[in-house]
Amino acid sequence: MKDLKHMIYFEHLLEDAHNDLVRQAKSDGRLALGYTCYHVPEVLMNLGNCFSVRLRAPNTGSVDIATYYMANSACEYSRALLERAIEGNYNFLDGLFGVDVCEPMNRAMENMALLHLHDDHAKFVRCYLDIPYADDEDCVEHLKEQLTRKILNPLHEVYGVDISDAAIRKAVEQYNKVCRVVREIGNFRKELNPVITGSEFHKICLVSFVCPKDLILPYLEETLEELKTREPDAVSRFKARVGIVGSEIDDPTFIELVEDSGALVVFDRFCYGSIPGRNEIILTDDEDALTQICRQNLKETECPRNCAYHKLDYRKEHVKELHDEYKADGVIYEQMKFCTYWSFERTLASHVMPEEYGINVLSIDRPYISRSSGQLRTRVQAFVESLEFKKIKSKKQAREN
Amino acid sequence: MKYFGGCDVGSTYTKCVILNEEGKMVANTTVRSRIVANESAKEALERSIEQVPELDSIDDLSYLIGTGYGRNKVPQAQENISEISCHAMGVHVTNPAVKAIIDIGGQDVKGIAVDTDGTVKTFAMNDKCAAGTGRFYESMARAFEISLEEFSNLSLTAKNVIPITSQCTVFAESEVITLVGEGKPRDEIAAGIQQAVAKRCFVMAKKAGATDAITLTGGCAKNEGLKRAIEKVLHIKVVDLAIDPQLMGALGAAEYARVKGMDKEN
Repeated sequence: MKDLKHMIYFEHLLEDAHNDLVRQAKSDGRLALGYTCYHVPEVLMNLGNCFSVRLRAPNTGSVDIATYYMANSACEYSRALLERAIEGNYNFLDGLFGVDVCEPMNRAMENMALLHLHDDHAKFVRCYLDIPYADDEDCVEHLKEQLTRKILNPLHEVYGVDISDAAIRKAVEQYNKVCRVVREIGNFRKELNPVITGSEFHKICLVSFVCPKDLILPYLEETLEELKTREPDAVSRFKARVGIVGSEIDDPTFIELVEDSGALVVFDRFCYGSIPGRNEIILTDDEDALTQICRQNLKETECPRNCAYHKLDYRKEHVKELHDEYKADGVIYEQMKFCTYWSFERTLASHVMPEEYGINVLSIDRPYISRSSGQLRTRVQAFVESLEFKKIKSKKQAREN
Repeated sequence: MKYFGGCDVGSTYTKCVILNEEGKMVANTTVRSRIVANESAKEALERSIEQVPELDSIDDLSYLIGTGYGRNKVPQAQENISEISCHAMGVHVTNPAVKAIIDIGGQDVKGIAVDTDGTVKTFAMNDKCAAGTGRFYESMARAFEISLEEFSNLSLTAKNVIPITSQCTVFAESEVITLVGEGKPRDEIAAGIQQAVAKRCFVMAKKAGATDAITLTGGCAKNEGLKRAIEKVLHIKVVDLAIDPQLMGALGAAEYARVKGMDKEN
């Protein structure tokens, strides 16, 4: 396929957390607000002159210093964030919003505070949100109180940000525009010979998380138009179609590794992916916007931390739906090393999904940066080959019948 | 007559097998892997080609498939296939009754369940460290200052087993040196090492769903002491293969090359 016009630019934007568009927004006097987790509603960090930056840790080398402050058993993502914070990579931030969703992330944020990494910023705002485990109306109220007290009020009091219902609805409009474009681009992956690869889509999705929405939107819209007329390869280089389900992936080289092993990645049900990360927020006029945002965020999260039975069932059913909708041949359940929640979910899924749903599953744990893992490549390639052989066998059987 | 090649570039040894149209093995070579994978592959291929009078060069092979960690470095290979799929196929063409494999390579251990047609049913892989791999054995034999073959034979003479507690290659070597220094019987220490590796193999075999008819592949399959230890922990008789078990990856690759090459011709 012909290269996408902005792909090299997107890759460039992903090379540094403090990327060109973040710098541009900052030089315009806007406020950069960092966060790491879906449980902090992204749209609330895009009110007025604020913009959200979901933190990644590009250019991470050794994480020895972070390991000293945390522990060997903390996930590599949390350690990489602390290491890059110590190296000054997030000095551009005006605020940082953490959650107590998982212990390592909590410790990473706590150490950033204890090490006084943003002390030279007089107005720096920081918080830790207490996120509910369930999604009933009490939980909605609790989340709303947390967000109001720990994010909205400080933004208003410290920076004078308009946090009115009207301002939130305006931010939702802009946010939804980005989500619509990203999801529309992602829908091309449902085609049998798609005009976009999984790694290209992942990069597009990632830039939508790490750049100011208004600045990245024109590039995304242009890419969408370009894809509408892009010619797919006459013969696909892929032997199988897979979905990826699991924990945090902000490393495009992991998706590239899977695709270099012969599997087209057709859906992305992981943290930093588009499902559910790029769902639009549907608002009505019957209720304030904040309550509706809280409710939707709690309903749509697919984090395995939520262990109510209906959430467990929903996650399995949803993977099955995605598997069928995107015509996948199998699913890769992945987990960042030491991610407690996903280690349970992944292990269960590796038994339940093949046995009860008839889905081919590869179960892997992976480092934060995967590009040099020959062993991971072998595992994925063997899985792809088994999917390919199964397809050949079923075709042969169909012919014989 | 057409010929088909499979080249398994492993971390320690590079193996090559050539099959004719009927699937008969007409040449095979095993050479020590060099730092540059394609040089190892070239050497193994050239040595195998020398064994077939009708072949002059790699170009004369109708189809060539690479496998092993250096599978994408095999010169002139039409494609590459993972060693997991190739070991399964290699064992299947050697003995179709075998349904599970423990492959102990230079740098990893794999459990593979084989389907009725030689494809992979499931697999499990220990790739996090060198414990229980060929490198581990090299390190242990070095600590004893004997060869791998002597190490295997030594373990078979033990009446008791001294358990080795460290799984890490470096720490295990240190533990062995300490035990030797304390004057503990060397054969019993060697048997302890075999038992420790067998337990790791047990995990891989169980994860891959092995129940019976299991075999060993890879260089460590020649270690009789390990084979006995595995039989003991798994309570399953290990099936001996009629062909060198170290060649299974290359043989599987050559068989895939034969099937794909013949299919292409037709």
